[in-house]
Amino acid sequence: MTNSIREIRDADFLFVIGSNTTEAHPVIAMEMKRAVRDGATLVVADPRRIWLTEIAEKHLQLNPGTDVWLLNAMAHVIVTEGLVDKAFIETHTEGYEAVAETVKRYSPEEAERVTGIPAEDIRWAARKYATTKKAGIYYTLGITEHSHGTDNVYALANLVLMTGHLGGESMGLNPLRGQNNVQGANDAGATPIYYPGYQRVDDEKVRAKYEALWGVELSPEPGWNLNEMMKKAGDEIRGFFVMGEDIILSEPNVLALEERMNRVEFLVLQEIFPNETMRFADVVLPASGFAEKEGVFVNSERRMQRVRKAIDPPKGARADWQILLDLAAASGASWHHRTPADIFDEFAQHAPNFAGISHARLDAQGEDEDGYTGLQWPCPDPDHPGTRYLHEGRVLRGKGLLTAVEYRPSDELPDEEYGLLLSTGRTLYHYNAATQTRRDPGLDTKQPGAFVQLHPRDAKKRSIRDGDPVTITTRRGSIDAIAHVSRQVKPGCIWMALHFAEARANVLTNDKGDAVTGTAEYKVCAAEVTKASDYTGELHEFRGSHYQAGHAEDAPS
Amino acid sequence: MIQRTDQLPTIELDGRQITFHPGESLLEVASRSGVQIPTLCHDPRLDPAGACRSCLVEVEGQRRLLPSCATPAVDGQKVTASPEHSPRIERHRKSLFSLYLTEHPGEDHPDGVERGAPNKLVRAAKAFGAEDWGKLENLRDDLLGDRSHDENPYIQFDSDLCILCAKCTRYCDEVESVSAITLAGRGSETTIATPDGRSLLDTTCEMCGGCVAVCPTGAMGEKKPKTHKMPVEAELEKVRTTCNYCGVGCQFDLNVDPAAREGGGEIVKVTSPTPAPPPPTPQPRGRTGGSTARTRCGKGRFGYDFLHHEDRLKTPLVRGADGELHPATWDEALAAAAAGLRGVQERHGKDALAFVSSSRCTVEENFLVQKLSRAVFGTNNVHQCAAT
Ligand code: SF4
Ligand code: SF4
Ligand code: FES
Repeated sequence: MTNSIREIRDADFLFVIGSNTTEAHPVIAMEMKRAVRDGATLVVADPRRIWLTEIAEKHLQLNPGTDVWLLNAMAHVIVTEGLVDKAFIETHTEGYEAVAETVKRYSPEEAERVTGIPAEDIRWAARKYATTKKAGIYYTLGITEHSHGTDNVYALANLVLMTGHLGGESMGLNPLRGQNNVQGANDAGATPIYYPGYQRVDDEKVRAKYEALWGVELSPEPGWNLNEMMKKAGDEIRGFFVMGEDIILSEPNVLALEERMNRVEFLVLQEIFPNETMRFADVVLPASGFAEKEGVFVNSERRMQRVRKAIDPPKGARADWQILLDLAAASGASWHHRTPADIFDEFAQHAPNFAGISHARLDAQGEDEDGYTGLQWPCPDPDHPGTRYLHEGRVLRGKGLLTAVEYRPSDELPDEEYGLLLSTGRTLYHYNAATQTRRDPGLDTKQPGAFVQLHPRDAKKRSIRDGDPVTITTRRGSIDAIAHVSRQVKPGCIWMALHFAEARANVLTNDKGDAVTGTAEYKVCAAEVTKASDYTGELHEFRGSHYQAGHAEDAPS
Repeated sequence: MIQRTDQLPTIELDGRQITFHPGESLLEVASRSGVQIPTLCHDPRLDPAGACRSCLVEVEGQRRLLPSCATPAVDGQKVTASPEHSPRIERHRKSLFSLYLTEHPGEDHPDGVERGAPNKLVRAAKAFGAEDWGKLENLRDDLLGDRSHDENPYIQFDSDLCILCAKCTRYCDEVESVSAITLAGRGSETTIATPDGRSLLDTTCEMCGGCVAVCPTGAMGEKKPKTHKMPVEAELEKVRTTCNYCGVGCQFDLNVDPAAREGGGEIVKVTSPTPAPPPPTPQPRGRTGGSTARTRCGKGRFGYDFLHHEDRLKTPLVRGADGELHPATWDEALAAAAAGLRGVQERHGKDALAFVSSSRCTVEENFLVQKLSRAVFGTNNVHQCAAT
């Protein structure tokens, strides 16, 4: 996030795109609700009638995967109506001309045809965004989990830069991180192209620095990203070390992956619960939950905060950091770290953006006037107070780069054989692979099993009633779930949650990755739904909640 | 133009001159000047309701006492807020809390009254010397008041303890914006209820637990600690930590029973940190008060049972020649893991290994995984599982 969570409540215009905030980030959603209560205008762009649309001024219900059309059309309006911030563009940006040229071809009328959003609504949203000073954009996986996810982000950044909505409070471009420490894992260098602190692995100087620090020769070749690793499993990749992740449940097109995993020669799994990946493991190392160890998490707004040990792990299990030190020693390395605080120091002191942060400083840090604790990086030295919002007065990489992007259709769209468009996502009550939440009595009763949302029209066509067991099929596989007939989805679209091991939505999803980040296309693929012939799962009731809002009783008669 | 402090309006509070920003309530001015006023129904995240009458103060020229939470400060006002300065306030507090105790079992409740947030009412009653005026019969135990049919596993409502301050319903409306609970019934039968008395599971409730956290009397309580046989509050250790679910990173206190699990400790509930006292300078309106830093969703508040679940992995496992996973010692498992990874490296080269790290784990652990991958096994094939 370029800005902070606390600034959300002071925004005058909130553009939420591809983020089911109330479910994925309930606490950020509370800030949004508060802003709206205080008079802010909320615009939600999402294929589904998510909860936030109830308090939104406008819901731009776009066809899944057509984000670039919507965003370029908004840019079109801003450019052609002269609503750009000329001074900001001149001083702080590059590449405006090319973008202005490209978006000329994206008229709101044409956009209406592709996205399904009325041209007038696009115009209204673009004008309102451009002319409101405190206007922030918030997005999550709905933007990035596409084969063109990077394009989507560029298109959003273009809007921010051409209107100058950057470098002030309550504005900017704010990706809401999906998991507690996505930001921290990236910061720590768990990426194939960066050492800690976004220092490139193919930068001579950086490599020399880490070679001197670690006393070994390091590879100058960038590694493969997760999507590529999974595709190369069993071929180029023959051995895996997996920490805290159920790759078999979480990765797309999982049946093909399982087939490849059989050809992997060796897999080490470090986990707290048995999971699907364990079937392929050669060694399993029992690890610890967050309350059983010391460390730091970094939240969506770059805030480093302490995690503290409250209880012992079950007898026999060890803290993850301890296991990693043990494994390094067993592999012949002699590392000097003894405690998480030591490890943190090595991480922070060689990455300029974090150099001012340490466990000791985080522990000494009290709460600020809003009750927040921790430090937001960049924080280059021990006297630096941390950084609430980025790009104050200037743009980080010198000049903000606008990047012209063209619409590319999603990799796989509905056709005659697979007539529906499947998106996947998360719900409030569970959390990713749900190994934690499904072991909780309450979170589990509220949403006991897999379901698929489909529009009454599509249900009727297929003689499916609400509550029927159905089979969902794509080119990659099929699973059973309970039909939830609902107007929350558009006609022609269906939606499933990713959380359920007995009905793994990732059997269905497309593993085509984004060209730059490798993030897979979880959000769009072609699917078909039929009544299940031999359903063996449980027939569960879907208990109350705002899902009921779009719930249609008038399915076929 | 910079506004100088001496140009700000002032009130006289217990004989002291205090400056304020227009819009501040008397309660806000008082609490940042170190004048303690008891509150039950007030929370900075909520619009003031003036419902519980515990925060009344004397304002010169006003015949009645006024609720300081709902009364804006006005230039030149003379306010008396402390019992030491006003016998009237002293009398008011004593009789108000005595009255509340006629409808509340105080410390005698069989289940204990600190299942959720600490019981503010009982503490205040003690502090102000409330007397025992006997108990009134609770007329609210009809379908709406008696929630014993509600099988939701987290939240319990006990009308015997409720003083109808409506803090819970206002939180549910104003902060959560879901309005799952509301005031229902009339007169002495008024109570907190769900639409048609449904189970919370069948309402719009998001199980955020906010109603429990704000309730000043223990009427909204947690069910869980009852099933956990919670020791008294004083024996619990509080450990401040960061939530392990989403990217918001809420802070909260794990309440640990240190003696449980043979001394390994057990988490029995999660509570919000107590707010730091407000700064003594006048606060401009807008961003003050009630940050989300202390607000939490159901996952954070209730979703910790997994840690104590019997399915937890406790023994290292190594796959044997028979193709099955067998228990092993840590030394055996670590040696097998190292040898296996080295074997792949020797047979197929450094880049035949891949390290999948986890965004659920700490910064330190992610740092070690990439160091292991790069410095020990010589490959940049390392990525965290959530590349978004
Ligand atoms: S349940 Fe608690 S918060 Fe709600 S009205 Fe009763 S006393 Fe007040
Ligand atoms: S738990 Fe949250 S959503 Fe449910 S009734 Fe209480 S305040 Fe409302
Ligand atoms: S706190 Fe002011 S009336 Fe309740």
